[in-house]
Amino acid sequence: MVANGNGKPGTNGDSLTELVKKNVFTTGEAADICKVSQQTIIRCFDSGRLRGFRVPGSKFRRIPRDELIRFMRDNNIPTDILDSSRKKRILIVDDDEQIVELFVDVLSRDERFEVATARTGYDAGILTEQFRPDLMILDYMLPDINGNMVCKTVRKNPDFASMRIVIVSGVVKQNEIDDLLGAGADEFVKKPFNIEKLMAKVVELLEV
Amino acid sequence: MNNTAIDATRSRRIELILRQVDSLPTLPAIAARLLALTTSDEGSAQEVIELVKADPTLTARILSLCHKAYVGVRAETITVDRAVVLLGFNAIRNAVLSVKVFEAFGLSEVNQEEAGEQGNGPYTFDRPGFWCHSLAVAITCELIAQAHPGRTDLPPGDAFVCGLLHDIGKLALDLVLPKSFARVIELAQINQGNIAEFERRVIGIDHHTAGKRLAEHWQLPHVLQDCIWLHGSSYELLPRLEHRPLIGLVSLADLIVRRQHLGFSGNLATGQDQASLIEAMRLDPEKVERATRQIFDELERRGEMLGLKDQPSAELYLKSIQRANEALGQLNAAMDRRSRAAARQARLLRAIATFQAWATPAGGVQDVLNRVASVAAELFGTGYYALLYPGVDGEPWLLCQYSQQGEPLEAQYLDPPVPRIDLSTTEGEEITLAKSAGMLLPWLADHLLSAHDLRQVRLLRLGCGWGTVAVLLHDRPSLPPAEELEALTLSWGSAVAAVAQHEGARRLGEGLAEANRQLAEAQQRLLQSETMARLGEMAAGAAHEMNNPLAVISGRSQLLAQALAAGSDNQKAAQKIVEQTHRLSDLISCLRMFADPPRAERKATNLQALLDEVIHQLRQEQQGELRETLMSVKVDRQATSVWIDGPKIAAAVRELLLNALQAGPKSSVHIGARVGMQSDTLTIQVSDDGEGMDAHVLAHALDPFFSSKAAGRRTGMGLPRAQQLAKAHGGDVRLTSVPGRGTVATLLIPLAAAASDDLAAGSAGARGNDNPRGGAL
Repeated sequence: MVANGNGKPGTNGDSLTELVKKNVFTTGEAADICKVSQQTIIRCFDSGRLRGFRVPGSKFRRIPRDELIRFMRDNNIPTDILDSSRKKRILIVDDDEQIVELFVDVLSRDERFEVATARTGYDAGILTEQFRPDLMILDYMLPDINGNMVCKTVRKNPDFASMRIVIVSGVVKQNEIDDLLGAGADEFVKKPFNIEKLMAKVVELLEV
Repeated sequence: MNNTAIDATRSRRIELILRQVDSLPTLPAIAARLLALTTSDEGSAQEVIELVKADPTLTARILSLCHKAYVGVRAETITVDRAVVLLGFNAIRNAVLSVKVFEAFGLSEVNQEEAGEQGNGPYTFDRPGFWCHSLAVAITCELIAQAHPGRTDLPPGDAFVCGLLHDIGKLALDLVLPKSFARVIELAQINQGNIAEFERRVIGIDHHTAGKRLAEHWQLPHVLQDCIWLHGSSYELLPRLEHRPLIGLVSLADLIVRRQHLGFSGNLATGQDQASLIEAMRLDPEKVERATRQIFDELERRGEMLGLKDQPSAELYLKSIQRANEALGQLNAAMDRRSRAAARQARLLRAIATFQAWATPAGGVQDVLNRVASVAAELFGTGYYALLYPGVDGEPWLLCQYSQQGEPLEAQYLDPPVPRIDLSTTEGEEITLAKSAGMLLPWLADHLLSAHDLRQVRLLRLGCGWGTVAVLLHDRPSLPPAEELEALTLSWGSAVAAVAQHEGARRLGEGLAEANRQLAEAQQRLLQSETMARLGEMAAGAAHEMNNPLAVISGRSQLLAQALAAGSDNQKAAQKIVEQTHRLSDLISCLRMFADPPRAERKATNLQALLDEVIHQLRQEQQGELRETLMSVKVDRQATSVWIDGPKIAAAVRELLLNALQAGPKSSVHIGARVGMQSDTLTIQVSDDGEGMDAHVLAHALDPFFSSKAAGRRTGMGLPRAQQLAKAHGGDVRLTSVPGRGTVATLLIPLAAAASDDLAAGSAGARGNDNPRGGAL
């Protein structure tokens, strides 16, 4: 293993740029990104401090992107090389097709964003797990469950602690807005909205 | 001895009396033996002779009897043996009984006259008179029996004994309880009633029972016992005894003798009808009549013979007439008493009748009291009268005072006395001064009009079924007897109670009507706010549905505007679309306010600056002439800094100003702000000299979407919105207007209304919690 790792060619700047876009890393790649020795990564992997999996049918260690980021944050290793490298994922949840399309049009024009859409609270839940959005644009009134329930469910999972939630709704009751903000929403935007202001808010929340 | 003794003591007392009756002197042995002989062996003449011989006084009496009966026979030639033969067994027996029973009750010849004079009251038991009565009944029985020789069930000898002893019970009662019996006699005399009834009332048992008990004790034959016990009972009701005719005979003789006023029986009831009794007993009325005529002579003869009476028949007759006279006099007196009572009662009844005839439920308690006083003065005579009506449950007491003639002088309401005086618990019909001296009168004294001598004031309770309802104060020393007055006072009391009830019901009715009116008003308001709330709820539901398409329109237009050439007409058009969608959305939000009223968040606010800013902004927005319209502001010094929700007040004033500008002001619009005298209300008035509003417009000016203008109108939400904003402060909007001269819209904002804000917020919050998801779900 040691020889194997040593025998690997050093990564250059270009390859690193490509590397950080990957979702799963080898121990060597992780070592490059973290700027530590591969040996250290392997030791951390084996002790369980850096969680990952082994490729089925082989002994090769693999590390998912999220785990690597968590590991780097835990150990105070700068993550900006990873963060800035990829598009911010935004999940749009609304049962109104036209609204969804409007958001997709507006957000897709910006290259910094990667967009997914859901029509129901149920879909929103599944996509949150799969797509792992950085920000969710959530309608309050959904066909199955209300936005505040989606908020609460998401906030219960520590994995999504860093996810931002913007509620966009035609509802104007102040106490309901207060409820939503209390349930974990970061921002409330009333429909109809000013596109420029909304975009500014999104950018601000995602710190891009 | 009073007649209200309770049953338990009464039965004990009766037992005691009976025991005393038992302890009365026994019948002398000789009499008892003679009575026994009567029943067993009639022929034992020899034994009778022996018995008489054994008693020297009796021997002397028999010999004298024989001598008197058979004048001509020389006394010395008569022996007891010969006398018995001469007189016959029955005569001897009757003579012995008469003498011995007499002796047993201490009615010897010697003290006869003394006894007559004894008695310490007008009513005593006249023992000689009683004996005369008993003897007369005995003789009558014998005479009637003798007149009917065919009637074997009426043996003359037995009839005499039965008649003689029939009232022995009276003698026994008089001996045991002389005072009570004197009272019985008195009551029987006054009431002209049946003595047995008064005996039962006063003593507990009557002479029938007492006599029966004595007869048992003396072991008298059964026929005697029953005569003593049952005489005077209705013949038809007597048990079918063997000696029933004898009992009937005694009853008949008793009736006849009493009717002849012979002697004294103490009984004054007329009892059964003589003729019907004769008929029931199947006797010959003529023979009875003949026998009756012989009574006087026979009584004189027998009395003389027995040495019991020494009155010639003429004298006896005179005496009986005297007695009859006396009885008549007593009867008259009783009649007179009754008629006087009847007259009094008639007056009372007339008074009640006039009082009741007047009574109408429409009058108040005071009217009834006045009427009571007037009737009282008429009935009882002129004098001091006042009426006190204690209120129910702590209500003031009504005191009405009257002139000597019972005319109303003054009526006043008094605070109830402390401590409470409960008139209902006062015992008796008349509350005497002594009973209430410590309570009612001293309390009343302060309120009475004239300095009347309170020591003479008496109180008369006016009661009804459930207690005292009023009290009549008067100074009459004597009123009709309580039992007669009761009907009147109850009638008065009931009338007062009825009117009080009626008044209460009327008040209740009026209260109900008032409550009803308030309820109707509240319902109207509720309906109004409910309509508004429902509209708001609908708007809330619609908000979601409408805001989505609006968001799409607005969003797409924005994207379009971005894509179009900057400054081009198309871009402007796209921007217009955006503006109008937002305006439409605001309108929906406005409607939403009715379901979810806004709440004021008060802060210290500079009102002058606030209003200046409103005017400034408005002027910027207006175009054409309106921009030039003069808008002036005047804020009183006290109103410069006020505790309000600035943005909401600004929005409200803005709406009022817009409304004023729309009215087409000729010269100017003026805003005046001031704080009320109690520094509790901020008043902001917006006045214009525009076209004004007529009554119809004014009535609906605060309705959402109402507009007097058919075209070119605004949203129609301005004034309702201003009102909502005022209500958030616990305030309101008032409009006054004169068509053609202008309108004044006033914003009333309570300043010391933090509590009402909380209240409004609380109710709004509660409504919100009921339905936190909004109306669209």
